[in-house]
Amino acid sequence: MGFFDFIRNLFKNKQKVSIGLYGHPNSGKTTLANTIASDSFGKNIGLPSNVPHETRKVLKQEKVVIKENGKELSFDIIDTPGIATKVDYKNFLEYGLEVDEAKDRAKEATKGIIEAIKWLEDVNGVLLVVDAIDDPLTQTNITIIGNLEARNIPFIVVANKIDDPKANADKIVSVFPQHTVVPISALKKDNIEELYKEMFKKFN
Amino acid sequence: MEKIYKIIGLVKEGNLVVMEGGLSTAEQTELIETTMREIDVEDDVENFIGIDINTLDKDSSSFFGFLKKKTVITVIGPADVVKTVEKQSNFLSMVAEINKNES
Repeated sequence: MGFFDFIRNLFKNKQKVSIGLYGHPNSGKTTLANTIASDSFGKNIGLPSNVPHETRKVLKQEKVVIKENGKELSFDIIDTPGIATKVDYKNFLEYGLEVDEAKDRAKEATKGIIEAIKWLEDVNGVLLVVDAIDDPLTQTNITIIGNLEARNIPFIVVANKIDDPKANADKIVSVFPQHTVVPISALKKDNIEELYKEMFKKFN
Repeated sequence: MEKIYKIIGLVKEGNLVVMEGGLSTAEQTELIETTMREIDVEDDVENFIGIDINTLDKDSSSFFGFLKKKTVITVIGPADVVKTVEKQSNFLSMVAEINKNES
């Protein structure tokens, strides 16, 4: 690599944007990561599941590009394991897992949560994915937002699963009035364009 | 983070910890990380599955007149002890199953 390539790469790396997907287990982070990745290059990056803590290791996809009004935003997606304050292996038994399998999943989930928290030091933008069916005012969401504010990391609250009749995106807007909230369905790709528009504003 | 270890120690013994005020962001993060390290899936009888944290917050206005939430009370308990939580703007109700292993 020549000297000029080195200088060019140096500046390229400085402009690199890493967007972390954070939130509770089963809030739809991996589904959203897949939606964004498939819009970018037609491929999923993870396996979504109804069983909580399906993502137990950080999944990273580099060079994802979204387009809006002829402009491009290039970034890396960091799909993190769901953050929780409790992990009970017995909950996994309800999904048909064997006891040993459930215990292994619980052990991996606890490590994944620690890993997700550590990654807060390495992202420079966050999509906080909130399940619009559940109460958004949880300790997990409060802790994530507190960390983002303390580190000056720009973020968007993504009210996911609005395709569900029980979803209440207005409640999320009312709970976080000082933050940008975008209601979407990652599964049905509802309102994704609006999310991209906000991502351009926040992370460009 | 002696405070966090003390809280986790008390909660692991089955206690509900009631604190005046709230934890800082750094303490909340440390509490979650420490909880994850302490979760034990091997002991089937008294395994520690994590914590439940609930706060009672009130609006307080800052110097510039902006409304800001201020935590008045924080209750931290074992996740398998805290059963139901009802929260309103000036009201926090929790039902806990205490001494579940002694019955």
